[in-house]
Amino acid sequence: MRIEEMKRESEMLYAGHNACPGCGAALSVRFLTRALGSNIALVLTASCWSIIAGMPPLTALKCPILHCPFPSAGSVGSGVRRGLDAKGKHDTTVVVLAGDGGTFDIGLQALSGAAQRNEDYIFVCYDNEAYMNTGMQTSSATPFGARTNTAPYPLFKEGQKKDIMQIMAAHSIPYAATATVAFPEDLENKLKKAQEIKGFRFIHILSPCPPGWGTESGDTIHLSRLAVSTGFFPLYEIINGVSWKMTCMPEGKRVPLKEYLMGQRRFKQMEDIRIDALQEEVDHDWEMLMEKIGSSQPLK
Amino acid sequence: MLPEVTKDELLYSHGNEPSTVNKTGEWRFLTPKRSEKLSPCRHGCLLNGEIPVWMEAVKQERWDEAWQTMSRYNPFPALTGYTCFHPCTEECNRGQLDQVIDIPALERTVGQWRLDNYRSEARPQKNKGRVAVVGSGPAGMSCAYYLNEDGYAVTVFEREKVAGGMFALGIPEYRLPRRVLKRELSLLEDRGIKFTTGCSIGSDIPLAELYADFDQVFLSTGAWKPRLSGIKGEESRGVWNALEFLSRINKGEQVEVTDPVIVIGGGNAAVDSARSALRLKGVNHVSLIYRRSRAEMPAGQVEVEAAEHEGVELICNALPREINTDGQSVSGIIFDHCKTNREGLVVDRSRSFHKSCGTVIMALGQEVDYSLFDTLEKPAVIFAGGDLISGPATVPEAINAGRIAAMAIKARIKGLPAPMLFKSEQIPVGFEELNLEAKLNLQLQNKQENPSDEASRCLGCGTCNSCGICYLFCPDMAVDPVDGRFELNMDYCKGCGICFKECPSRALVMEGGR
Repeated sequence: MRIEEMKRESEMLYAGHNACPGCGAALSVRFLTRALGSNIALVLTASCWSIIAGMPPLTALKCPILHCPFPSAGSVGSGVRRGLDAKGKHDTTVVVLAGDGGTFDIGLQALSGAAQRNEDYIFVCYDNEAYMNTGMQTSSATPFGARTNTAPYPLFKEGQKKDIMQIMAAHSIPYAATATVAFPEDLENKLKKAQEIKGFRFIHILSPCPPGWGTESGDTIHLSRLAVSTGFFPLYEIINGVSWKMTCMPEGKRVPLKEYLMGQRRFKQMEDIRIDALQEEVDHDWEMLMEKIGSSQPLK
Repeated sequence: MLPEVTKDELLYSHGNEPSTVNKTGEWRFLTPKRSEKLSPCRHGCLLNGEIPVWMEAVKQERWDEAWQTMSRYNPFPALTGYTCFHPCTEECNRGQLDQVIDIPALERTVGQWRLDNYRSEARPQKNKGRVAVVGSGPAGMSCAYYLNEDGYAVTVFEREKVAGGMFALGIPEYRLPRRVLKRELSLLEDRGIKFTTGCSIGSDIPLAELYADFDQVFLSTGAWKPRLSGIKGEESRGVWNALEFLSRINKGEQVEVTDPVIVIGGGNAAVDSARSALRLKGVNHVSLIYRRSRAEMPAGQVEVEAAEHEGVELICNALPREINTDGQSVSGIIFDHCKTNREGLVVDRSRSFHKSCGTVIMALGQEVDYSLFDTLEKPAVIFAGGDLISGPATVPEAINAGRIAAMAIKARIKGLPAPMLFKSEQIPVGFEELNLEAKLNLQLQNKQENPSDEASRCLGCGTCNSCGICYLFCPDMAVDPVDGRFELNMDYCKGCGICFKECPSRALVMEGGR
């Protein structure tokens, strides 16, 4: 790829933002602005990005930002969309950016409502698998076996990670997809595809968090890649809630999950029996996903 | 009616000052730095050429820069693109993945670009100093180029009527198109290098006179004296010496050859003679006979394979004992079976055979003729290079010798100490060290037609080749594209190390501190 092909005029993230070194969330939004162009309006719910975006009068993004309360991301997004429509600005893309807390737990009712009404905006969840901004408390997106500040040693997160993609698929929204920062091309393609569709669109981005996960800051991309190659976070898209499609298949055999867990401090004292349990869970989810992909009819 | 929001309000609803005032570089406690390592291609290159560096320029189609980079070590990419055996490609790491990068083709492309587009103007004579170069072969041309580049007046003396030495007389037309050589020589003349052809130093002008007329003299007369085998019948009619045979063909003269032809030897001159003989009218069968095994042949494997493909019969482990003559011409050769073991060549006379032929070409190698030095009355320092010093060697080695000689001559004229030469002790970057996970251009698996596509297949082992991975994955916007390159912006770099870990070519290191 040549340099001119890599550069994007629409890159809207300023240097000097407040993200930690190696932040996956900052990278997710950078790719988001690269894909969506400059004509966007961003709704930010309480999350890491409330901090990263900077304290007024400073701003880390070149687009308009609206901060909103934690549970209301879905509703505020609907409001902004309708406001822009009333002013005739139909071509502006509204993007709601929420962390996993604002999507999986606190923001779920507003999200579900907006999805059910099929509001015309893109809901982007950057998932760092805990409430990282407030000090790494367990969320329902935290994977089984992980340690957080609300589940310190010898405790651990019990129960599965909530399958938000199935929830969104059950709402029969036009477009839902998973993506991660190690595959920027895939991520950008999905956002571009979403931008062209009308209706409620949901993008779930796995964004590794070096301080929260207890990893080296340089390992962000490596972990994100491992999450895909182990099958822990498969990359797929769902159209109209029925047509499931894999977009980025790991080459050859899936890497054992242990390799992904090993590099992270939050899984450090995880016993083998629990690693096996998590591996089984991942294998099961993978098979279910493959079944859905195999049985679903490709839509035109 | 809703009030109209101004453009500015829409733009700066959150804040009105970019966060760039916030110099996050202060947070850093580890600093990424560029540190280029030795690539296998450069390790293999006989000219020490910075192959991955010009490869990057080719990738971005910055031809002028590619030529400038290349000319630091190799001023004649068009000529070497055709004549060099390219040991660089043998070690290419891409070969372990799919196909090696076609470095020769890219080298030719850059060379051709230069021949087509480079406007050669006379170099200003900014340095006082006149240098005579004796012999216009690869070493002489290279030395003349580098001296002229630095503004010295250079005159090249050539014994033959055509300039180019081994390029013009030793290497057959099918390996090096003559138009390329002519254009290259005319470029050198345009730059202000004087060529005096048909002037033999030693017989026409004594060497001592050159030393009196010029400030320095560079001797690169090559190794043209044929090595004799001492076997019976070597002196008879119909037995050629390979270099004489090749140079007669290359001069366009008529060569009398009777079918079938036997070439004795295993070097490049032998293979060139065999292939050239096969191209002559009336020749249907050419045998190339070498005394050792095929693996021990000093000729380039590519050339040997090409010769076989063209129909040259290759016989190994056969040593000529006697050339049979019927008074006038050659009728055949008796060979003994022969092989190498620890003690050297072992000849087995019981397994001899006779092979009939009309012409024999002896390519047993050349020797250096030192008689030129006899006429000399003790000059202080002699600068010499190329085959004259190394014995018969390759084109790139001669070009390299010319470059080094030019450096030494410049230092001598300026009165500086002679340049110290260091051979890099670095171990080249291995395939396992490269981080290919992030490499985005792996989809181009086979050789590409377009030079910039082909160059983009280069993995850039140990050298930044502007792949842009650091730029793409930097969460802090601390990698800027500047003038077609990526530069680390230390004002904002938080030192996370993503660029260092993801760099496919391993061209970065992390250092402690800010």
